[in-house]
Amino acid sequence: MTTVSETAVRTTPVTGAASEAVLAVRDLRIRDEVNDRMIVRGVSFELTPGKVVGIVGESGSGKTLTCRAALGILPAHFAVSGGSIEITGRDIAALTPAQWVGLRGGTVSAVFQDPASYLNPSIRVGAQIAEVILVKLGLGRRAARHRALELLAAVHLRQPALVYDQYPFELSGGMLQRVLIAAAIAADPKVLIADEATTALDVTVQAEILDLLADLRERTGLALVVVSHDLAVVAQLCDEVLVMHAGEVVEHGPTARVLYEPRHDYTRLLIAGHEEYGLERFLDSPEVDGVR
Amino acid sequence: MAVTVADHPFTYVRRAGVATARARRVAGRTAAIAARSVAIFVPVFVVATFVTFSLRALSGLSPARIQLGEDATPAAIHNIEHEWGLDRPFLAQYWTWLDGVLHGRLGDSWANGASISELIRDGLAISLSVAGLALLIGVVLGFGLGTLAALRHTTWIDRGITGFTTVISVMPPFVVGILLVEVFAVGLRWFPSGGYVPAAAGVGPWLAHITLPALALSFDTVSDVARQLRAGLIAAYRENYVTGAVVRGLSPRRIFFRHVLRNGAGPALTVLGLRFPVLIGGSVVTEWVFGLQGFGRFANDSAQRGDVPAVQGVLVVSIVLVVAFNLIVNVVLGRVAPASQRGV
Amino acid sequence: MLRLRSARVAVGILVLIALLAALGSVLAPQDPLAGGADTLAGVSGRHWLGTDYLGRDVFSRLLAGSRVSVLGSVEVALIALVLGTIPGVLSVYLSRVFEWLTLRLADTLVALPFLIFAVSVTALLGNGITQAMFTVGVLVSPLFYRVARAATLPVARSQYVEAAMISGASTGWIVRRHVWAKVLPPVAVALAHTIGVGFIVVSSLTFLGIGVQPPAPTWGGLLASDLGYLDFQPYAPIAPVLLIVATVWGCNLLADAIRDVSGQEGRALLNSGRARANRVLAEGEGR
Repeated sequence: MTTVSETAVRTTPVTGAASEAVLAVRDLRIRDEVNDRMIVRGVSFELTPGKVVGIVGESGSGKTLTCRAALGILPAHFAVSGGSIEITGRDIAALTPAQWVGLRGGTVSAVFQDPASYLNPSIRVGAQIAEVILVKLGLGRRAARHRALELLAAVHLRQPALVYDQYPFELSGGMLQRVLIAAAIAADPKVLIADEATTALDVTVQAEILDLLADLRERTGLALVVVSHDLAVVAQLCDEVLVMHAGEVVEHGPTARVLYEPRHDYTRLLIAGHEEYGLERFLDSPEVDGVR
Repeated sequence: MAVTVADHPFTYVRRAGVATARARRVAGRTAAIAARSVAIFVPVFVVATFVTFSLRALSGLSPARIQLGEDATPAAIHNIEHEWGLDRPFLAQYWTWLDGVLHGRLGDSWANGASISELIRDGLAISLSVAGLALLIGVVLGFGLGTLAALRHTTWIDRGITGFTTVISVMPPFVVGILLVEVFAVGLRWFPSGGYVPAAAGVGPWLAHITLPALALSFDTVSDVARQLRAGLIAAYRENYVTGAVVRGLSPRRIFFRHVLRNGAGPALTVLGLRFPVLIGGSVVTEWVFGLQGFGRFANDSAQRGDVPAVQGVLVVSIVLVVAFNLIVNVVLGRVAPASQRGV
Repeated sequence: MLRLRSARVAVGILVLIALLAALGSVLAPQDPLAGGADTLAGVSGRHWLGTDYLGRDVFSRLLAGSRVSVLGSVEVALIALVLGTIPGVLSVYLSRVFEWLTLRLADTLVALPFLIFAVSVTALLGNGITQAMFTVGVLVSPLFYRVARAATLPVARSQYVEAAMISGASTGWIVRRHVWAKVLPPVAVALAHTIGVGFIVVSSLTFLGIGVQPPAPTWGGLLASDLGYLDFQPYAPIAPVLLIVATVWGCNLLADAIRDVSGQEGRALLNSGRARANRVLAEGEGR
């Protein structure tokens, strides 16, 4: 674990042993009130600092709704009908909108698929990052700009000063996702949810983004929830995997165990499908033991 | 933040260069927009002036008729026309006139020989006061109502405002003017029913005289702006970048003012730009209703009198006003919402 | 479309107005031009809406005046339709020069304040409502140009038209078969809306005394004289105002109804092409 300077660097171990859970989802159930259907039926997992949990499943499996519930942005007509979510120990059911505003960005944050659409097309990207710092950390404009530039460098963007002044339409998908990650971590959250964050990107860029996330997790103890339909993405980064199918968790366990000894048919199906595309290079590498 | 400069050094030296490059780019973009508007204006100007100039020849009108009446002898007519230079070749007349226009001289009125530029200038002072206030009312009320309707989307407030704007939009300015006069001037006697007092003589009376006409003129604009803004804001709220901002922990108020409004206001601002010609056109009737001796009234009177150079001057000034205003709107749009300039 | 209640209301209003226009002078109980001694009278059994300052029956004048308004509005709309739609569709198929020229022309025409131009042209070319309406029609035609062009672009470059072209269909056939269907609904919307606009313009012009010589009755003209006698007959403007407002509202309702209906039916086709159409349109406009 590298320490870079005496300023706020987290020194918690990568797989936090006796740390308090930063995100605890217990038997979460989400209901579609319009059609009166249960969409998510009992999801449970815990995140401690530095831990990475992956959620795998196809479209409609309920993984995105789970994330949205954890962020408090469930669409209209969807509601948590059972179970609980706790962020740093606080039950989110009791939160007011104002409290949510405080929690988001500073404690829990997210990046999504299609990075271009999640940035305001009329404002330069640097200003959008600086805005988060300005509002959440209370810094002045110059200090916020300085920090924003640091963040752009931290997400491995070359020429941060140049990128700072670009509009979203002037940047590529990979660069935009880095910008979004920078904005997401600007206020030092404890949890970052990455919902299909690499799906819209080229394979090479995808690998770079995943490396970046691993890097951030190592250096700052950021806890991650990585959601994907792609098992390879999850295999590369996660300590623990949940496999979801039709709203239920069909498999849950350490990554190595799930991949080597799948217990559920659906998991086996996923793995079999992926083996055609080269998952095996992850299966035999030494990194998948949970110790990096 | 866990990462510091020591980790990932970058140069500050570039900052100054980036700033000037940025300023230059902004200036360039603005200049491009301005240039494009001017480029469209030039052919318009030439064609329109040529057409209006030809109309005189087509109409067979002449100052002689105005000044001498119906029973003028051909010799007298010929004399007067010669005096006015109307027996010169057509293109020569056009060139002289155009040359004068480009130097700000719009010629003299056939009716009384007065300088048209002066007459128009006097009239414009009144018309622009009214139009300016109308625009202000249009923007303030339009934005207010549009925002309210969008924020309280699907509630009765939204439905009420939409109904109200629909009603307003079908009422022509002179109808509204008449109604306002009836209710507020004749009925309640809160406002004078006509006439004008220049601001120099007192802001209070000045406002009292221009409020009703400005209100009448503005209804169309209020309705359009409110409708466009409402639609634009509702659409903007559905965009992913709002979710992005929410997830970063920005407050709803900040999201509205800095993100949603900026992008949602595009269509409303565009509509505003398109309203200005209508405002000028509308002044023709409102000035009649409220007895204002403004630009529109002058246009109307000159037209009815057959005072061709005055009419030509009116048309030229109208074009210039509209183009200038559109230029301003385009530049503002370019700065506030560059996305809309790219047809996004 | 007549399933929509709003459409039924709109059509109802408009048909009524059209009937008034056609049969107004016949239906009028009194001669609209005949004055009398009983000036500025109130509502009575003989004069349903009272009389004006010359003793003429207001109701009859209103009925007789509907013709000018309706004819003028329709004239504006038809001129704008023809002058705008044809170049609009053609601009997609003819040369780039034509496209550029018509685009720029549309841009400039839109910028001109049509009331002032109408007033000016009428003054210069004779005090007839036709000249004025022609001018307004020309100035409003850019709307039809834009609408027709925007509807034609996605079709012209869509894949099923490419397929038709490959299998040997001529451009004329394609235009008739495919483009027409796509262009018709938005043009119909624009037409309904423009008739409403035309109504406002006619009322405004006749209000100013342009286009029709008194004593011929017009709705605008009625309002103008009402204005002079407001102290005596404060409620006089209500009838012509209601008529004008109802007609314009009917036109707008009709336009919205057409838009809703065509939107629903055409939505599946439109949606796939819309994003592309927007981009193409933006490119074509050089913005």
